[in-house]
Parts: sequence; structure tokens; C-alpha cells
Amino acid sequence: MPSADAVVVGAGLAGLSATLALAEAGARVHLLAKGHASTHWASGGLDVAALPRAVTVREAVARLADDARHPYAILSDALPPALEWIRGMLQHEGLPYVGTIDGPVVPVPTSIGATRPAAILPAAQAAALRPWEPGERLVVCGPGGFKDYWPHAIARGLRRAGAWWGSAGPERVDPLVVELPGVRDRLNLDAIELARLFEEPGWRCDAFAAIRRALIIGGLDGPGRMALPAVLGLDDHAAVLAEATSELPLEPFEVPLTPPSVPGLRLYRALRAAIVRAGGRVQIGQAVVRIGVRDGRIVEVAMEAAARQFVVRTDMLIMATGGIAGGGLVGHPDGTLREPLLDLPVEAPPAMSWLAREPLAAGGHPLEAAGIRSDAELRPVDASGRPAGPAGVRICGSLLAGQRYLRERCGDGVAVASGWLAAGAHRPSAPRRDAPQSLAGEVAG
Amino acid sequence: MSITELIEAAAHEPVTSTADGCLKCNVCNTVCPVSRVTDLFPGPKYVGPQAQRFRLAPGSPPQAGSVMPVLSPDHTVDLCSGCGFCTNACPAGVRIAEMNSRARAQMRADRRPHLRDWLLGQPDLLGRVGVPLAPLANAALRNRAARWVGETLVGVHRHAPLPTFSRRSFRTRWSRSRGRRLRAPGSADPERSVVYFHGCAANYYEPEVAEAAISVLERNGLEVIVPQQVCCGLPLISNGLYAQARARARHNLTTLATFARAGFRIVGTSTSCTHTLKAEYREMLDLDDEDARAVSGATWDICELLLDLHERDRLDTRFGRSDRHLPYHPPCQLRSHGIGLPALDLLALVPGLDAVDLDLDCCGVAGTYGLKREKYDIAMAVGQPLFRKLRESGADEAACDSETCRWHIAKATGIRVRHPVQILAAAYVAYAAAEAEAAGAPSDG
Amino acid sequence: MGERMLTPDVLVIGGGATGAGLLRDLARRGLRCLLVDRSDFGTGTSGRYHGLLHSGGRYVSKDPSAARECIVENQVLRRIAAGCIEDTGGIFVATPDDPDDYVDAFPGACAAAGIDCDEIPVTETLRREPALSPAIRRAFRVPDAALEPWQLIEANLADARAHGADAWPYQRVVAIQRDGRRISGVTVRDERSGASTRVVPRMIASAAGAWAGQVAALAGVELMMSPGKGTMIVYNQRMTDTVVNRCHPPGDGDIMVPVHTVAILGTTEELVEDPDDDETSSDEVQALINEGEALFPALRRMRVLRAYTGVRPLYRDPAVQGPEASDDGRAISRSHIILDHEARDGVEGLISIVGGKLTTYRLMAEQAANAVCAKLGMSEPCTTAGEPLPGMGDSRAHWLGHRLAEHEDRGGGDADLICECEMVTRAMLERFLDRRGPCSIDDIRRGTRLGMGPCQGGFCTFRAAAIMAERAPDGHTDRAAPGGSASDPEGALSTFLNERSKGTRAVAWGRQLQELWMVTGIYVGVMGLEGSSSEHGGEATEDHGAVS
Repeated sequence: MPSADAVVVGAGLAGLSATLALAEAGARVHLLAKGHASTHWASGGLDVAALPRAVTVREAVARLADDARHPYAILSDALPPALEWIRGMLQHEGLPYVGTIDGPVVPVPTSIGATRPAAILPAAQAAALRPWEPGERLVVCGPGGFKDYWPHAIARGLRRAGAWWGSAGPERVDPLVVELPGVRDRLNLDAIELARLFEEPGWRCDAFAAIRRALIIGGLDGPGRMALPAVLGLDDHAAVLAEATSELPLEPFEVPLTPPSVPGLRLYRALRAAIVRAGGRVQIGQAVVRIGVRDGRIVEVAMEAAARQFVVRTDMLIMATGGIAGGGLVGHPDGTLREPLLDLPVEAPPAMSWLAREPLAAGGHPLEAAGIRSDAELRPVDASGRPAGPAGVRICGSLLAGQRYLRERCGDGVAVASGWLAAGAHRPSAPRRDAPQSLAGEVAG
Repeated sequence: MSITELIEAAAHEPVTSTADGCLKCNVCNTVCPVSRVTDLFPGPKYVGPQAQRFRLAPGSPPQAGSVMPVLSPDHTVDLCSGCGFCTNACPAGVRIAEMNSRARAQMRADRRPHLRDWLLGQPDLLGRVGVPLAPLANAALRNRAARWVGETLVGVHRHAPLPTFSRRSFRTRWSRSRGRRLRAPGSADPERSVVYFHGCAANYYEPEVAEAAISVLERNGLEVIVPQQVCCGLPLISNGLYAQARARARHNLTTLATFARAGFRIVGTSTSCTHTLKAEYREMLDLDDEDARAVSGATWDICELLLDLHERDRLDTRFGRSDRHLPYHPPCQLRSHGIGLPALDLLALVPGLDAVDLDLDCCGVAGTYGLKREKYDIAMAVGQPLFRKLRESGADEAACDSETCRWHIAKATGIRVRHPVQILAAAYVAYAAAEAEAAGAPSDG
Repeated sequence: MGERMLTPDVLVIGGGATGAGLLRDLARRGLRCLLVDRSDFGTGTSGRYHGLLHSGGRYVSKDPSAARECIVENQVLRRIAAGCIEDTGGIFVATPDDPDDYVDAFPGACAAAGIDCDEIPVTETLRREPALSPAIRRAFRVPDAALEPWQLIEANLADARAHGADAWPYQRVVAIQRDGRRISGVTVRDERSGASTRVVPRMIASAAGAWAGQVAALAGVELMMSPGKGTMIVYNQRMTDTVVNRCHPPGDGDIMVPVHTVAILGTTEELVEDPDDDETSSDEVQALINEGEALFPALRRMRVLRAYTGVRPLYRDPAVQGPEASDDGRAISRSHIILDHEARDGVEGLISIVGGKLTTYRLMAEQAANAVCAKLGMSEPCTTAGEPLPGMGDSRAHWLGHRLAEHEDRGGGDADLICECEMVTRAMLERFLDRRGPCSIDDIRRGTRLGMGPCQGGFCTFRAAAIMAERAPDGHTDRAAPGGSASDPEGALSTFLNERSKGTRAVAWGRQLQELWMVTGIYVGVMGLEGSSSEHGGEATEDHGAVS
């Protein structure tokens, strides 16, 4: 059976971060996952923290870190270098991000005509971060016949009082539906298919021309920006975005859609490419079903293969299996919330109190903060702080208890910081020359 | 139910029941090679778990008073190639490609059988007819007029990448050179012998692959037993002819189970055949008795087995030097095995050989899919990125463990494609030649 | 829509199956009638029942006359409403725990009630329905079927309209005026616009079901209803294509009904005070699953989409059951009763129809129409059993795969599928909106099945809301239904998702919990659904607090 210095289970942002950090440090690392979840559903931005009355991300992080039970209490030191590191990686893979944790948290438009708080976004979405100047207009522009982006409804929503949190939004918001070549005739159409169309140079040239014409006919000129659905290319995204920026008279920015998330896919592919380039192994498709333990220590990780199990020997396991949405925490009919791989102790409210009556109201569900407690090195612990599970395990991402990532918008920050930190627990056999300092020399286990 | 029980129950869940887990998240649609290239295919989510909810179960009682509805009310599922990327990407354990295959079988049951699918489903039948007449048969298959007629009358595309019939089948060669074929283990030692499942490809079209495999196994001290066997039945399964597939399956299980229970490993050189023995008899044909489980648990892909030997320090690693770049394409079926990429790890043992994963998705042929008149263009479009990358690599040879992929890639690019075991066999020969040269003696070849 | 009828012959209160059937019957007899419902049609018991067209087998032992009524109406509906019926057939299966005497007597009791009942071998039964427990001892086939209520109601109303009647949703009866013993008029308020209308009918027929007591009270009449709340749970997979009943004295959780793409397990019985009580508890759900497992052993592993309740319009007739009658809801007769309030309470101009079940709606309506006609001195006969409902004559329309088959015949593809789970196309949605005018997404759900699949509205709701917004010109303030509208697509979205989530609360585990988390993650996380000026810059809200 193959062996590895470390096995990471879960290919979300936390798992990808941990795997990449390990691979970069020269470790032989296998990333195993049964499929894709949050990466392919999320906005593609990096949600680090946003709270009411916290002006910058850093302020929000500090407030969350003040709560000893929040993962940021452990991660706030690791967070800035981890973010720097991953942005460098993404830049290197052709996916630069804009905004910093010292920048303001601002409202950016969403595809249901609401706004969400953001501060760090990929370049394609970044134009939405800039404050709106007086006289600026926003044109919400989408292809006719595309059922996941509705300019009229979006524009109506963005014109509501309060959509922009009382700060100034665009002076005018106008919808624009443009017939793009061949789109209405298609039998099948989703964001990925549109993204592929945009990658054909001839088609996108015609598409941008059609948009320009429609802007003129609609009298929609003057200074401003344009909100397009997030479909500007997939593998060829940089070229498509550059052309959109140069060909369109209003500065374009992408608005993320319901899954499949093209920005999320770009982020995933960039990190995966970096992992493979650094010598890491990525195996997607089968569920991890057994963790082998001997003398209280991890010795192997087994995946359900077509026959028998596919076993990787290792003494370091990083669990990034996700929260409830990712399948790393499973609710049972008997009212328990369990972690299926190692049955680690899960902190959760009592069964009767899991869900709020109005799930979309401000407080959210009490169950959102559920997860597994960890020590400062991200080893799992039980309710009294004693080590739980075998030695050699680190947990990261949405598995960590105490965060409410929807309300606090901290999911990506926790994922990257914890993945990066958990990777640092491994002492690589042959560190690369350019390995970040903090990864070398930590004692494993 | 405990977590272990839940996992075990899930492992034996009927394929169609897994549709229950679908989150409608669209992740499967992001990885489908067919929806990438054609607007006619709605994608795995639609034809898989979504359509499954509208299909009546095969045992459904007739509904009095109404026209008997068909069990499978849709037809676009026919365009699914069965590559399995969707199943691998699904975070909720939905076995999409597998339920698509079952739906196609239901469609066959509802509609008239198709001569073409009956023919393509039986490469053994074609081989038994074609091998004795090899020169004539091969000439006919090369003849443009004949191929045009074939396309019009039978529905096999005139450019379909059909293999050439060998002049003598592997089994004929084997029985002439090695004597009897064993029906029972006899006195053979399971530690020192393996059972070889050659499959139709090695038997009728590429006996050189069988010979290479045998030479590599023998080089490693393993006696090769070639028992009575018939076509694994996968082409029949893919073409929805389940009854005929079951007949083949039962025949194979009867012979092979004796060996499996005696502790012999069953090794194959076709990732399709071995996947069928490992998983599809149970999943697709509902054959889940002791024989099927024994054979499943004893089946190994040849690279999987050789790598296992290597991990136990039992592989002869005296490979001759080969300084070249060798692109490698992992077949889709190999991914469904869930065993990683053992061929790459083995090829890395050949000094100087730069074996690199082409790291794209499907080559397009998907078994018999790409041979069909209405699917050939889709198969070629799916494979385009792979063909381009291969041509751009400048390599004069590539490696791939699946026969239909090899034929398709070779025809599309003009580049020779061989099974990894052929590369290894050649490397052993090269080592022996170099030794002999160094010793000044003529090589034995 | 035609002129408003302010002085109709008959005002029918309640737009469930009974009210709609009554409107059809009366209109066919030449009366000018108006129907009002406080909400959309079919939001009362009719829209929250089990989905079963009874053969009557369930009642053969305890209530043979009800059983006989069922089978007669079962056959009538198969003639006149074939397009709303999926002919699933039904079986009664005996588990090892079911009493022999009941099981042995069952076929004879069916025969006595006129219900076709054949025993089928257990092996054959298990071959057809492999999910059934292999421990079953006997199985009997009966002509149960699955009946779709909203299409049924809509077809009845369409026929009524074709005969000159009118039916208005979202019109609540807020006052009934009396002039001595005589009812002199009714005040109806439009729930969307707030406008009031005065209606002065010659007769009022209250088909308000479980709410009949509330309506009667407006007229100063005491009518004690005993709403019988029942919980049902919706399974994502159709583990059976036949209605499966347990062959034992009727109890909880002993029927599984395949309904379109899902299967519904029910039910329970709890007498409640308030007919609007729609609370479900996870204890009730667990109890249902425990019972259901006797029929389907793998039930616990199957995904439950939601739990919902319906209230049976049970009437405790003081003449039949004395004041010491037990509180056992199941002991109250399911038969329907026509209450003549002139005779009973000295109030002229009002009758109420209470009790009954959806299977016998037409018969109830016929008897109520007879009563109304008698009061009005008319003797026109009932014609509702003979004529197929408009568009409902073809039984081939309603089988499980029909939406997929039709969609594929039109070319297939997902480009214009608004609700992918239930295969609702944009054209279907627009046709519904054309017919209905301004409405809520929940109205769309009832009319098209949008949002009723595994994602429970996760992907389709915002599309539907956006399409409504696209159709309404900017700045137009429409008479929107409560619960969101064209002018507030975001509000429409959150109202509908909140409503769907309510049903998930009692079944929040496994894949459905994961689905809820994914959908909430998308709408709150990616779409900022709850984001507004009150969220940022305003008071931070902490945990919502425990829920009861």
C-alpha cells in the first residue's frame, strides 16, 4: 500500500490549503475526497469576517477572536500570513485577488438583487468593491434566456432603500437584457456552458459587440459599472476578463450565481493545479471509510475502492471534511450530530434547539455553531479540553466549533488559516528551499 | 443504527436508491465531458437522479385503465457515455453513471432491440468470427465503401476507431505454447501464481498486451494461469443488454470463484474488464452472491498488483534506461477503481522515463459509445483537448491502460499508444540487453 | 373575470374540494353563485391531506357505510376526474403483528361493501414492491389510487365558471349581518388590497371544513368542530408505486401513498382547538417512522423531505355522541353531515357541510346542493357525476413519468426548466401566471408543483420570483398576495423559503439537513438574502434563542 507523510481528507478550501502548504514544504501528501461541495457552491470570494459596526475585516476578526470559543481565538495570528500566502499562490496561478483585511467591508450586489458584505474578492468581482461616486450608474446586464440571472429583478432589488446599508450606492440602477448569439436557441444552458462560450474568441467578440449596441440603444451611457453574471470564462478566464474590461464602456464586474459556481470552480482549479505542480496527489471520488489506529496513533487511511479498500499509510491525518453542508458532520434522526470518520466528540445544541423558527432571520440556527473543539494546535479535544481521538490528527475548516460562518462571514478565513496552520504541524523530511519559515521545525503529533 | 452500520448499509445500497441523496448542487454537471461539448445532453444531474424520480420501478404493476406507461420516459440519457466522472465528483454518494446505465437498460426493454448495440456488445462474438478471417476482415474494415455501408446499415461510424483482428487469438497461442488451460487450481500455489483474465481485447485484437503482461509477471516469479473465461460482459451492460451480460457473468463467476476462494489473485490488463469483475456484476447486474463477492475481492488491475508487489519489496526493479517523455492517460474506468494511478508509480521506476499524467478528463470513446454513428462526433469533441495536449507534447508514444482509449487516441493523433505493462516489459528486455552487451554476450531477447 | 356578483343566489364559503364541488354542482343547476376563500384555493384540509383516493378498504370493519360511499365515489371520480388520478392501485398487507381475525375478515368485509378485493401471493407482492417487508403474511389488492387535489379543485372551479359562477381567492369573510333570524348580508375583505365587498346572497353554504365553526360564529351560530390534526411525512423517493395499507384496525402511520415523485407516510390523529394549528414535533415524526418500518424495513435510511399537518374537519354531533364522548378522534365518524342552521339554530339562510373526506367530496357537494336547492324551492337534479371535469377526461395524462416524457418530446434540456426537480418549465409557469394574475410563490407551488422536490425551493424559488418581477412593469404596485410579490422578489423568496424550512424542522437530519444547510448557505452566504441596512450599522442580533 502506498504511504504518505500526510493525508488530508476533504477538498474544500481548508483541505486544499493544508495540502498545498504540505506539498510546498516537500511533504508527500495525498488529498482524498469523496466529491466536491462548498468550493463549487460558494461565491469565489474570500470571506474572512464581517460584522455589524465593524468597519474593516481586521476589526471584525479581532472581535471574533475575543470570544475564546471562536476559532479565530486560535487562528488570528496565523490568519494574516496564511491569507498572504494563499493570495500569492492564487496570483501565481493566474487568479489574483483584490482587497485586504484592512480594507473596508462594503456591500456588493448579488444575483437576487440584494447585497452581501465583502472585502476580498477575485479580480473579476473587484470593481464592485470601489465606493460609488455621485452620478455613477450601475447597469445589470445579462443574456436573454439564461434562467439564473434576471436583470430586472436584480435591478429592482438594488434600487430599494437600504439595499446599500445606508451608504451611497449607484445613483441609477438599470437592467439590460441582451440577446447573445445562439443562447436562446440552446436546449441546455447553465453558467458553465456560458463560461465556455465566452472562451471562444469569435463568440465573445460578437457578444461584447451585442452588449455595446444594447447599451447605446438603451441610452445607458455615462460613467458607471456593469454587473455581469459570473460566466467570464473558466480556464481562460484572465483573457476573457481582460477583453471584457477593454471592450465594454462600463467597467464590468462579475456577480456570483447559484451553483455551479464558476468563480468557485476557478478557485478550486487554481489550487489543485498548484498542488499538483508542487508534487501533491489529489484523488477525488471515493469516500474515506476507515482510519487505522495502532497504539493510539493514526497509521493508515482507507478509502472505499471498487473492491477492497484503497489504503494509504500515514501518521498524520488532517481532517477537512466540512461541516453539515460538506458532509463532515452528519445529523441523525435520534437528534445527535456526529462526525462519521473518527466519531470525534461534537459540540452541538440539544436536538430540540437545532433550528430556529425563521431560518433566514438574523440570528440564524443555533446549530450553525456546532462542530468539534480543538486545542491551539488544532488537535481535536472533548468538552473538557482533553485530547480526543488518536494522535496524529488535526482538524480544520467548517469542522471547527464556535463559528457561525454565515452570520460572521468567516468561513474562508477560518478555512485557509486553519488549513495552513494544521499543515505546519508536519515536519517535512526534505523542506524546500523556499518553504515559509513557520512551517519548518514544528513537532508532529 | 451505528455509524458503521450506516456506512455498511450504504455500501450495499441499490444504485437507483442513491438518487435519494441528490442535493441538486450541480457539481456533477461541472465535470461531465459530454455536456462540455454538445447541447443535446442535459447533463448528469438531469438524466441521473432528477429523471430517476420520474421512472417507474421495473416491477411496477400495470396501471388499470391507462395506457401502460414506459418505465423510462426519457431518451436523452442515451447520450451519457458512462465515463463516471459525475459519480466521482458527487458529494452525496449518488451513483449517477451507474443509474444512467440502468436507465438505458430499461429503455432497451421498452423499445426494440438495436442490431448495432447487439453486435457492439459482443466483441467476443465478433472476434471469434473475425480472427479466423483476419486478413479479409481487416481489409473490409479498412475499406471506405464497406465502412460507409456499415455506417448506413448498422450505425457504426465510418471513422470509428475499430481495432484490427489478430491473426491468431491469444488463447490459441497460449494453448499451443503452454499447454492446457486449467479449470481448477490443482496444485498451483496461490502465493506464486496468478490467474490472468485477458479479456476480448488482448485475446482477439492485441495479444501483444497479454504477452507483455505474462512476461512481466513471470519475470517477477509468478506463474500465470489462463483459465476458461468468456467476455466480461461490460459492452453488453453498456448497451443495456443485461440478460446476455448476466449469462457471461455467471459463466465467469463459476470458473473464477474457485480460484478466488483458493486464494488466487485474478489479474487483468483491461481496466474495463477488471472494473466489471470488481464492481459491475454486483452494481449493475445485481449478482451479489458468494461467488461474485469472492471474485470481486480477488480481482486486481495489473498495475495495481505490480505496485503492490513493489510496496512489499517484491518487484524486480531492474528496468533498462529509457530517456524520454511519456504522456500517460488514466482511463475513466481506472478512476472508478479508486486505486490511484498505479501505472504512473510503476513507470516512475524506469530510469530516465518522464511519465506524466496528461491530467485531463475523458478521451471520448467510452467503450463502444464513440463507435456509434450518432455519438462519434461527440467522442471526438470530448477528446480534442487530450489529442491537442498529446500532439503538443512532441512525444512519439503514450501509455494508457484501456484498450478502447488506446485505439481512439492512436487513431485521432497518429501517435502510438501502449499499455503501461508493455512499457515495463520492454524496459525489462532493455535491461537484459544492456547487461548482455556489457557482458559481451549476445542477448537472449 | 366577468362582473362581480354582489347578489348571487348562493355564496359558497371555502375553496377546498367540497366548496369547489358545490360551486360546480350549483352552477350546473342554473344558480348564480360566488365562492370565496380566505386564501388560495386548496390551502385547507384539501391541500394538506394524504393524497389518497380511498377504495374504502380502510373503513370496511369499523364504518361500512363510509366504506361503501368511498368505493362508489372512487368509481365516479375515475370517470370524471381521470386526469387527476394516478392509478397506482392499492394493497392491504398483513404483518406478523396484525390480528388474524381482522385479516381473515378483510376480503369478506370488502366484498360486502362492494369493493373489489383480490388476494395476491406474497411472492408476487414482493416482486412488484421489493421495498416491502419480506415478513408480510398476506396481501390484498384494492382499487386505491393517488388523487391530486389542486388540479381537481381547479377543474371543478373551471366547470363552475363555464356555467356562470365566480370564485375568488384571498377574500376573507369578516362579518355576517343578521336581521333577526335572517342573515342579511356578508362582508368580505380582500386580503391583499384590504378592500371590502358586500355580498347579499339568498343562501350561504359554508364549506369551510375545519373552520366551519369560525364561520358559523360570525353568524351567531354555535358549531363545535373537533379539528383532528394529522401529521404526514414526505419521502424523497418513491419506494413504492402502489398505495400500501396495513391490514389492521386503523391506526397511526399505516398508509404509504405514492404521490407524483414522492411517497407520503401517514398519519396521526390529535384533536386540537385551533384548525390553524400546524405544529409538528419530531416525536410524532419518529413515531410515524417506527410504525412505517413494519411495512418498509429500510425506511429509516430513506430521506424525508418534510413533515406537514392537515386538520380533519371532524364534527362531534351532540345528538350522536353525547357530552361524555371520548376524546379519541378516531372514534368520531368520518361521515359528512349537512347542518341546516334554520332547523338546528333558528338562523335562516345558512347551511354548513362538515366532516367527510376528499374521496367523497362530490357526494358531499351533491347533498349540500340538494339542501340548498330545497331551501330555494328548486328541484334541478345533480349532473356532476355524469360529466367529466374539463380537461380531466384522459387518464393517460397522469402517470409518474408524464412530465419528463412530455418535456423530452418537446426537445428536453434544462434551459427553460424553472423548477428542475419537478420539471416545471417557464412556459408552464407563465401559463399559470396568465391564468391567475398576481399571486404568491406558494400559489405557484400549488398550481405547478414548483418547490416540492428534494431541494424544497432551493433553486427554483428565486427564478419564479424573478419571472414575476420581469412580468410586472417597474413601479407598478400590484395587488400582491400575502407572502411576497412581483414588486418584492426578495421578500417572496424569503417567505417561501421560510415556509418550506418550517416543514424541515421536524425532519432535520441526514441529507435533508445537508440540503437545508447548502440552500441556506447559498441564499445567506452568496446571495446576502438577509442583508439589509437593519443588519449592518444597526443592532447586532445574537442567537435567536431556543425554539420550543
